[in-house]
Amino acid sequence: MPSICLYFEVHQPLRLNHFSVFDIGSKRDLTLNYFNDRLNQEIFEKVAKKCYLPTNKILLDLIKKYDGKFRISFSLTGTFIEYCERYMPSVLDSFKDLFATGAVDFIEETYYHSLSSMYDDLDEFEEQVKMHRKKIKRIFNYKPRIFRNTETIYDNRIAKKITDLGYKGIIAEGADKILGGRSPNYMYKPVDTDLKVLLRNYKLSDDIGFRFSTHNWSEFPLTADKYAKWLSRCEGDLVNLFIDYETFGEHQWIETGIFDFLNHLPGEVLKYNHLDFVTVSEAVERYKPVGEIDVPWAISWADEDRNVSTWLGNDMQIACFNELKNIGRKLKEAGGNERLLKTWRRLQTSDHLYYCSTKGLADGDVHAYFSPYESPYEGFINFMNILQDLKQRVLL
Amino acid sequence: MIGWEYPPFKAGGLATHCYGLTRSLADNNVNIDFYMPKTKNNVSSDKKNLKIKEIGEVDVFPYDRPDNKDLTGGFFEKVYRYNDLVVSRVKGDYDMIHCHDWLTMKAGVTLKEKMNIPLVLTVHSTEFDRSGWLNPNQWFIDIERNGMEKANQIIAVSNFTKKVIVDKYRINPEKISVVHNAVYPISEGKKQKIVLFLGRLTLQKGPEFFLKSAKKVLEYENCKFVVAGIGDMLPELIEKAVDMGIADKIIFTGRLSDEEVKHIYQIASVYVMPSVSEPFGITALEAISAGTTTIASKTAGFSEAFKNCLKVDFWDTDEMANKIISILRYEPLRKTLSENGKKEINLFTWDNVAKKTLKVYREILSSKQCDFYNQ
Repeated sequence: MPSICLYFEVHQPLRLNHFSVFDIGSKRDLTLNYFNDRLNQEIFEKVAKKCYLPTNKILLDLIKKYDGKFRISFSLTGTFIEYCERYMPSVLDSFKDLFATGAVDFIEETYYHSLSSMYDDLDEFEEQVKMHRKKIKRIFNYKPRIFRNTETIYDNRIAKKITDLGYKGIIAEGADKILGGRSPNYMYKPVDTDLKVLLRNYKLSDDIGFRFSTHNWSEFPLTADKYAKWLSRCEGDLVNLFIDYETFGEHQWIETGIFDFLNHLPGEVLKYNHLDFVTVSEAVERYKPVGEIDVPWAISWADEDRNVSTWLGNDMQIACFNELKNIGRKLKEAGGNERLLKTWRRLQTSDHLYYCSTKGLADGDVHAYFSPYESPYEGFINFMNILQDLKQRVLL
Repeated sequence: MIGWEYPPFKAGGLATHCYGLTRSLADNNVNIDFYMPKTKNNVSSDKKNLKIKEIGEVDVFPYDRPDNKDLTGGFFEKVYRYNDLVVSRVKGDYDMIHCHDWLTMKAGVTLKEKMNIPLVLTVHSTEFDRSGWLNPNQWFIDIERNGMEKANQIIAVSNFTKKVIVDKYRINPEKISVVHNAVYPISEGKKQKIVLFLGRLTLQKGPEFFLKSAKKVLEYENCKFVVAGIGDMLPELIEKAVDMGIADKIIFTGRLSDEEVKHIYQIASVYVMPSVSEPFGITALEAISAGTTTIASKTAGFSEAFKNCLKVDFWDTDEMANKIISILRYEPLRKTLSENGKKEINLFTWDNVAKKTLKVYREILSSKQCDFYNQ
C-alpha cells in the first residue's frame, strides 16, 4: 500500500538594497546596509496573509478533522524563521500549533538556504546545518532526523556528509537520469553510504505546484477526487509529494481553487483503504531501500534540467559564487568577525544567484521567475557590487 | 512604396528600414517600385521585382527642422515639391501604396484618393520625438495627423510609438500594427575599452546625458568615450567636455562613413543610447550584433522588444555610470550580455519584418474585398 508523504518547503530570502559601484567602500561607518528591510517586511507580510497563515489554519483543521491520520512535513529555513521572529511571531506560533498535533514533522537544511554544499570543503555546509539544528531545537524542542538540501540539491558527496552528521534520511529529486527507468515510489539508498533516500515524484508534485491552474493542460481542472484516484493507482511503497509552500495562495492564487483542493484532498485520499499519510521520519522508519542511486553530479528539483544550472549556469553566477567562497575563506582566516560572518552567510542564500539566471533569455522567452530585479544583469551588478564592498571590509 | 532615403544615401533608421524591408518583401515575391528623391549617388537594386525610381532633386535633410534658421526659406516648399512630383510621376497598376513618415504622407494621401487603392503608413518617428517633446511644431503635426487619419492601416515601429499615435494624434488603436525593426548583423572585432555614443547630436538623442555619465565614470575607470555623429549640439557638446575637464578622454568623430561606423561598433565595449525619445533605435541592434554590450533608454522602442541589454532612465546619469563601470569592471557581465545579445539578435531579421508587413497588406486587401462583396 503506497503511503503519501507530503512535504512543504518554506523559505524567504533577504532581498538587497540598490547598491551601485559608487557605494563600494563609501560607507565606512560599518553599518552593513545591504538588505532592503522595508521591501522584505512588505513581501513577508503579504505572503504571510496570502499563504502561510491561511494554509496553516487549513492544515491544522484537517489534522484535527481526520484525527491525526492526515500527516505532513515541513522544512523552515533559518532566514524564514528570523522573518517570523522579527515581523510576525504569530506565523511561528501557527507552526508551533501544527507541530503540537503530533502529525507534523520538521526537516533539517542549511540555515541560510545556501549553496554551501557546492563548496570545495564542506566545513561551512556543516556549520550551517548545525545552526539550523540549533534553531529548530530552540524553537520546537525537536531534533530533525531527515535532511533536505537547498532546492533538493543532491550528490554522493552530500549524502556521505549527511550520513556522517547522523541523519537517517535525505530528500532528493526523482530525476529520470538517476532512476534509469525505475520508479521513484520506493525508498532507495546512496552508493557507499548507509542512508535512506526519499525521491520526489516530480510528475505528481508538479501537477499541483505548476499545472494546477494551467487552462490548456488536458487534466484541467484538477480536483481532489481525481488526484486521489491517481494516487490510489500508484505502484510502489511511497509517493513523495514535495511542494513549495507558496504554491498555496501565492503561486496559485486563492481564485484558482487551490485551497478547496487542499481542503478536500485528505478526505478523498483516505476514502481508499490502501492509502495513508506519513511524515518523512515515519516513511524512513517504515520502508526499506529497494535499490541504490549513484549521483556523481549534483541534481536538484529546479527547471527541466534538474541540475544546478539555475544557480551556476552562466559566467556571472559562477563569478559571484567564487567571490562568495573567497570572501568566506579570507573572513575565516582573519578570525571571523561575527557581524561580517553573519552578513556573508545571508548573502549565501541561493536566491541571490537565482536572480542572475539567464536561462531562456536568449530565446526571448519571458521567464516567470520571481525576481526583485528588472533583469538578471541588474541582479548581477547589484549583488557583485555588494560582494565587492564586503570584500573590502573583510580585507580592512 | 514612397520613401525619402535609401542606402548608400542615408541619414537614419528610415533608410535602413526601407532597404531591409523592400529587399525582404521582394524575396517574399512582392513587386515593389520604390520612389525616392534623386541623389548624387546612384541607387539601384539587383532584384528583378524591386525597382528604385529616383525622381526630382531635393536637398532637404529629412531630420532637419524648420527652426534651423538657414533652412527655413525653402524647406516646406521643397517637401511639397517632392510630394507633387511623386504624385505626377507615379504611374502603373498598383495594389497598395506604402509610405514612410511625414515627408511622404502628402503624396501618399493624394495618390490613395486619385488611384483608389489602400494606403499603408509606417511611422518611424513623430514630431514629438524629433523635438524631444519640447515645442513640437504644429505644421508637422498637422501633416502627420492627416496622413494617419487617411491611411487604411498604420505600422508603428514600437508600442511606444503606437501609444504616441493614439494619445497625441487621437488615432484608433485598432488601426495601428506594431512591427519592430531588424538588423543586418555586423561582425565582432577586437574589443577595446571604448564607450560609444552614435547618433545625431540633437536634444532627442540625449548626448549631454552621455557626457555627464562619462564625467562620473572617468573618476573611477580609465577608458575612452567616443561621440560619433553630427548635429546642432556638436559645438555645445565639445565646449561642455572641455569645461568638465574630460576633453582628452572624449573623441568627437564627426560624420562617419558606413565602414567607419561598422569599425567603431566592432571595437567598442559599451554602446549607450540615452535617447530622450526613441521610437525604436536600430543603432542598438547594430551595436549588439557586433557584440557590443548596450545600455539603452528605458522608453526606447528597442527596450520594449529586447531582453539582453541594460536599461536606464535617460536622465539618471548616476545609474548610467554605474552600469558603464560595471560592464568595464566585471568581464563575466560583459561576456554574458554580449553572447546572449548576439543570440537574441537572430530573432530580429528583415525577413520577419517583411512577413509581418505582408500580413498587414493581406488583411487590408481581404477586408477591402469583403467591402466590395458587401456592397
